[in-house]
Amino acid sequence: MAGPKGPALRRSGPALLVLFVLLASHGQAQTPPDLSGAWAPYRGGRGADPALNPPPPTPIVLKPLYAKPYETRRAAEDEATKKGEPLGTAAVQCVPYGFPRMMAVALYPAEIIQRPSQITIITEAFSEVRRVYMNQPQLPIDEVPPGYYGHSVGKWDGDTLVIDTVGIKESVLGYQNTPHSTQMRITERIRLVTPDMLHDQITVEDPVVLEKPFSYTLAYRRMPNYKMVEFVCENNREYLDEKGAVKMKLRGR
Amino acid sequence: MRAAGQAGLRTRLSVGVLLCTALAAAPPLLAHHSFAMFDTAKRLTMSGTVTAFEWTNPHVYIEIDVPDEKGTVKHWSVELGSPSILMQAGWKFSDVKVGDKITVVLNPLRSGEPGGLLAQATVRDGRVLGNGPGRVGGQP
Repeated sequence: MAGPKGPALRRSGPALLVLFVLLASHGQAQTPPDLSGAWAPYRGGRGADPALNPPPPTPIVLKPLYAKPYETRRAAEDEATKKGEPLGTAAVQCVPYGFPRMMAVALYPAEIIQRPSQITIITEAFSEVRRVYMNQPQLPIDEVPPGYYGHSVGKWDGDTLVIDTVGIKESVLGYQNTPHSTQMRITERIRLVTPDMLHDQITVEDPVVLEKPFSYTLAYRRMPNYKMVEFVCENNREYLDEKGAVKMKLRGR
Repeated sequence: MRAAGQAGLRTRLSVGVLLCTALAAAPPLLAHHSFAMFDTAKRLTMSGTVTAFEWTNPHVYIEIDVPDEKGTVKHWSVELGSPSILMQAGWKFSDVKVGDKITVVLNPLRSGEPGGLLAQATVRDGRVLGNGPGRVGGQP
C-alpha cells in the first residue's frame, strides 16, 4: 500500500500546501481582536502618554486645478472667521458629515459592532452609520452609487482591520475639507495600540485630484459601559445669511 | 472683575455685565458650526427666570427672562453644546426646568442681539456646570 500512496501524495502535495495556507490564514482570521464597544476621540493633552499619540499627517498635495480654489476657499473662511461671520458648511444645515469626516467630529464617540461577516461603525454626531462587509471583493468604483458612506469591504491583516472604501460623492468633503473625485479610494488600517487605545490610519488616494496619496491617523480611547446618545437634528437654530455666514435665530419672548 | 460704576446693576444681581477678557475661555470643543459669531473675549453674567429648556440636537438651549434694575425684562437665548457633549461634562436633561432661577455666564453674539454661547451655568441646586468637556468643563 505504501507504493501507490507515494505518487498520490506527491501529486497532491501542492494542493495540500494550499489547503494548509488556507487553514492557517483561516485560523488567524478567527481570532481577531474584539473592537466592539464605544470609543471616544483621543486628542492627547496634558498628562497624556506621547507614545499613544497618532503620527502626524502627511502633506496634502492637490493638483493645480484643485489647489487654487481650495486655497481661495480656505482664505475666505479664515477672513470671515476673523470678522466673526464664519462661513457655513453643510453641517450647519444638519446635513451629516459622511465618510471620512464623520470619524472625527469634536468629542462625539463612535460605536463599533463587530461580527465576522460585518463590522458596523456608528458615530454619535448625526447618528451616522457605516457598514463594512468582511471578506468580500470590493465593487468596481463605477458600480457604486456615490453616497455619504460609499461601499466598504474589510479583512483582517493579522491584528489589523483593513477597510477599503469607494463611492463617496463629490459633495461630501474630505479631511480638512479637501475636494475629491468619484475615483477616490480610502484605505483604513485600524488596530489596537493598547487594549484600550485604537488607531485608525486613513490613507486617501485620488488620481484625479491628488498629486499623491496622503495619510492621517485618528486615535480613540475605549469608553467602557458607555451608552451611545441619540442625535436627531430637530432644533437647528443656525442658518446661513445671504453672505453664507452662520447666524443664530433668536427665539424671542 | 467688578465693573466700576455698575453697582446699580449689581444690586439686584439680575444683570451683571462683566467684561473679563483676561478670563475669557477658549470656545469649547463642539461640532456643527464655527463659534466665531460669539465674542469669546466677552463674558456677560446674568440671572433670570427660565422660560424654556430645550434638551435637543444639534444644541441645547436655555431661554431666560432677565429683569434689569428697573424691573424691565429682556429675553435672552443661550446656546449650549449638544446633549452628548453636555452629559460628558456632567449635565442631565433635568438639571434645568421652566420657572427655575438661574445664573449664566455667556459669550454674547457679536451682532449685539440678546443671545450667546454658554460659558457656565449655576443651576437650582447650586452646581456650576460648564459647556462641555472643553476648557470650560474640565476633562481632556
